[in-house]
Amino acid sequence: MRRRHGWLAGLLLAAAACSRGPKLANEVVAVETAQLPAGPDDRAWSGAPLHRAGLLPQDLVEPRVLTPTTAEVAVQALTNGAEIAFRLEWPDDAADDTPGPARMVDACAVQLPEKSGPDLPEPQMGQEGRAVQIAYWRADWQAWVDGRGDSIRDLYPNAAIDHYPFEAKPLEPGSAARQEMERLYSPAMASGNRRAGPRKSPVESLLAAGPGTLSPAPNQDAGGRGVFQNSRWSVVIRRPLPQGLGRDQRTHVAFAVWQGSKQESGARKMRTGWIPLVRRAGS
Amino acid sequence: MARVFNWQIGREMSYWYPEARPQRQFAAVFDINKCIACQTCTLACKTTWTSGKGQEYMLWNNVETKPYGSYPLAYDVKLLEMLGGQEWEGGRYAGRTLFEAAPAGERVLGWRPGHEDYSYPNTGEDDCAGQVDHGEYLSLPHAQWFFYLARICNHCTYPACLASCPRGSIYKRPEDGVVLVDQGRCRGYQECVRGCPYKKVFYNPLTGTSEKCIACFPKLEQGIQPQCFVNCIGKIRLAGFISTPDKARPENPIDYLVHIRKVALPLFPQFGLEPNVYYIPPIHAPESFNRQVFGPGAAQAVKAYREAARDADLAGLLCLFGSTEMVVSRFRRQGETVIGTDEKGAEVVRVPLREPVVVRPARDPRTQLVRINCP
Repeated sequence: MRRRHGWLAGLLLAAAACSRGPKLANEVVAVETAQLPAGPDDRAWSGAPLHRAGLLPQDLVEPRVLTPTTAEVAVQALTNGAEIAFRLEWPDDAADDTPGPARMVDACAVQLPEKSGPDLPEPQMGQEGRAVQIAYWRADWQAWVDGRGDSIRDLYPNAAIDHYPFEAKPLEPGSAARQEMERLYSPAMASGNRRAGPRKSPVESLLAAGPGTLSPAPNQDAGGRGVFQNSRWSVVIRRPLPQGLGRDQRTHVAFAVWQGSKQESGARKMRTGWIPLVRRAGS
Repeated sequence: MARVFNWQIGREMSYWYPEARPQRQFAAVFDINKCIACQTCTLACKTTWTSGKGQEYMLWNNVETKPYGSYPLAYDVKLLEMLGGQEWEGGRYAGRTLFEAAPAGERVLGWRPGHEDYSYPNTGEDDCAGQVDHGEYLSLPHAQWFFYLARICNHCTYPACLASCPRGSIYKRPEDGVVLVDQGRCRGYQECVRGCPYKKVFYNPLTGTSEKCIACFPKLEQGIQPQCFVNCIGKIRLAGFISTPDKARPENPIDYLVHIRKVALPLFPQFGLEPNVYYIPPIHAPESFNRQVFGPGAAQAVKAYREAARDADLAGLLCLFGSTEMVVSRFRRQGETVIGTDEKGAEVVRVPLREPVVVRPARDPRTQLVRINCP
């Protein structure tokens, strides 16, 4: 039985080798292009070399991941000279895009050193005096951007709600007084926490100078889009090209992936170390 | 991990941060024997603080029926089972605290309830511990029993939520020991939800941050007790500030009940958090149950409470529960009167030790008619 299937496996391997997928690279190669693709399904990605980045459990600071989950993330990159777009793809059994108690969401992130150079910051969130820039995509933010509402009934269709005090008369719908009162009942929003929304992009620009120091970047200049298909996430994260990264020059990049169904969130993540990132001319 | 002293377990223990006690520590005593589970406290809190979007399922204050009730579901028994044996050697805890039992890679031994665990806040409500069999009669403790356990955040001296947060978004106020989640800094990792054994931190799915009881600190700052205290119709609660045992002051109501008379006890002291809500244990529940929930002092606390009728100072202090909305910093008894004063020594309340009893004769002497109690 095993022998009869041997020829079939050989044929499949040969077919795979001859397929016209992107060529493999042992570093992340950002290929120059006139226009950056908006989504992960754009044809432009077929011209970008693919780097298979092995993922390590975050086991440097508590809480640590001791059991590996996502094994690798497939990375491609394109640049138009002003911005750089990364395409990240990884397998996931299900799309976890609904937040809630003990409901974590799928996510990924791209990290670059704030300053390019040989003296790299620690790959795990940078270090004091040597910050890192992070562009962070989340599946629940993607769902909101794609049109899902953010009320409790959008998350739990059968939820019964008696009453919100700010929706009672005499406060009129849409009035400033009503919005102000609603804000008071949302302390994170009232505190100006960007995490609380409202959100127009599924990607947030962040800065960090060591574990536990993550904070929103002053310029929210990252964007992107993620799609879940055939038990795989494909996510494009776009951000400004690192300053001074000319053609054939190198800097470094690191990636992280969170699987919501594995209760991954915050420090509980799969991550890479620093990977060389080089800019090349398009063909 | 640092080594800190936890007086509730009578020994040093490991904690994520060094010992840093606040200038004064918010604390409370709940008299379980007076609670009727009317949930007025729950609603007072709910309407004040958690009526917003994303807060629908949150009960910063809840009242559950023991032994079968719990919110979220099985929050206590699940963790007790995870922790394993919890032996006491006199007043010294010989087992492991949640910090000492933390598995590799974790800061605290914990677990995270799912949304379904929050869906049944009334599970076990009014359920008796067992069947009341034919021929049973009332005795103390009761053969079959239940009691109501009102719960808020314990504003612990060694909070597990604070220790669990990898980005330091939770802090303990130095001025009053109130534990707060910084709503501007939290990123909703839910590590605090996982770490708190009492499950008194809640994730808001709409703001993506975790929220918790704030001990009504805007009221506390004005010397006023929190909402769930002043709205309690059973008058079971007294808010104040607690000292460490070595600095206990008999005139401080909380110190007197916890340290001097030892009639009020912490909830699950074996977890190691040094929680600051203290309970007068139920006198009708079995000693073994009280011991597991409130620690080795439970039997003595029940004994002292049952003798309160012959103990004018203790009975007098119990009369101050629910007698004023102000925080009573000191109390004293003058004969048949109990007086409470604020921090500056100003009198805030004066109550009789015994309410005057007036008996109205059934027959009206003026009309020579029998009185009836109809309106």
